[in-house]
Amino acid sequence: MKATFEPTCAAIQAAIIAFCAASANADAPTAPTAPIATASMAATLVPAPEKVAMCRGCHGIAQYRTAYPLVYSVPKLGGQQAAYIVKALQDYKKGLRNHATMQSIAATLTDDEVAAIAAYYAAAQSAIGSSNP
Amino acid sequence: MYRLARRCSYLLILLATGNLCLADGGAEPQRPDAACEACHGAGGDKPVSPETPRLAGQENDYLVEALLQYRKGARQNPIMGAMAKSLNDEQIRELAKYFSAQRGLTEKY
Repeated sequence: MKATFEPTCAAIQAAIIAFCAASANADAPTAPTAPIATASMAATLVPAPEKVAMCRGCHGIAQYRTAYPLVYSVPKLGGQQAAYIVKALQDYKKGLRNHATMQSIAATLTDDEVAAIAAYYAAAQSAIGSSNP
Repeated sequence: MYRLARRCSYLLILLATGNLCLADGGAEPQRPDAACEACHGAGGDKPVSPETPRLAGQENDYLVEALLQYRKGARQNPIMGAMAKSLNDEQIRELAKYFSAQRGLTEKY
């Protein structure tokens, strides 16, 4: 037993060292690369259109509530369908949707601005900056 | 010793089945009417058309307000008007609660 004990240990040690060496070579660092821009990163890099400043004050604040005529939460826009936002703003412009503030704001927007705002909000990804747990 | 082992295994089985009963997530809200998800998608997060809004994670009382407006005709939409007219107050509250609890929309600044 004793005669083979030390050689056996040595063999095991050699095997472990060989294994570690092999793993180390496999993990050898390559030249550092720039972080790959993921789809979600690119999406949130949609530049904010100028007129979005009008939206942020109400829609950008968690739990913001309208005060008049009814108290209810201002809807979240981050990640909403772009075509839905466009239709909503157009409906406010035409008076098909009734909300005094939204009608006033929509009246000041051109079609291009509406499209830009819609694209900006549609680009939000729920994983980034999400208020939902 | 054998009796102890048997009692322990009964207890383990009891605990295991108890966990299975809770495995559906305990406080998960009741699934809403499939009629909503036909257009708004599972969890209100995959609308079937570009003009259909995502509902997942929307503000609870905004959803209540929207459904109330559709129901009384203050907000006009042929599909939503018909949908909302079939809902009572309790159902509106339940649907809003369900969709607002899903993960989806955010307050993008």
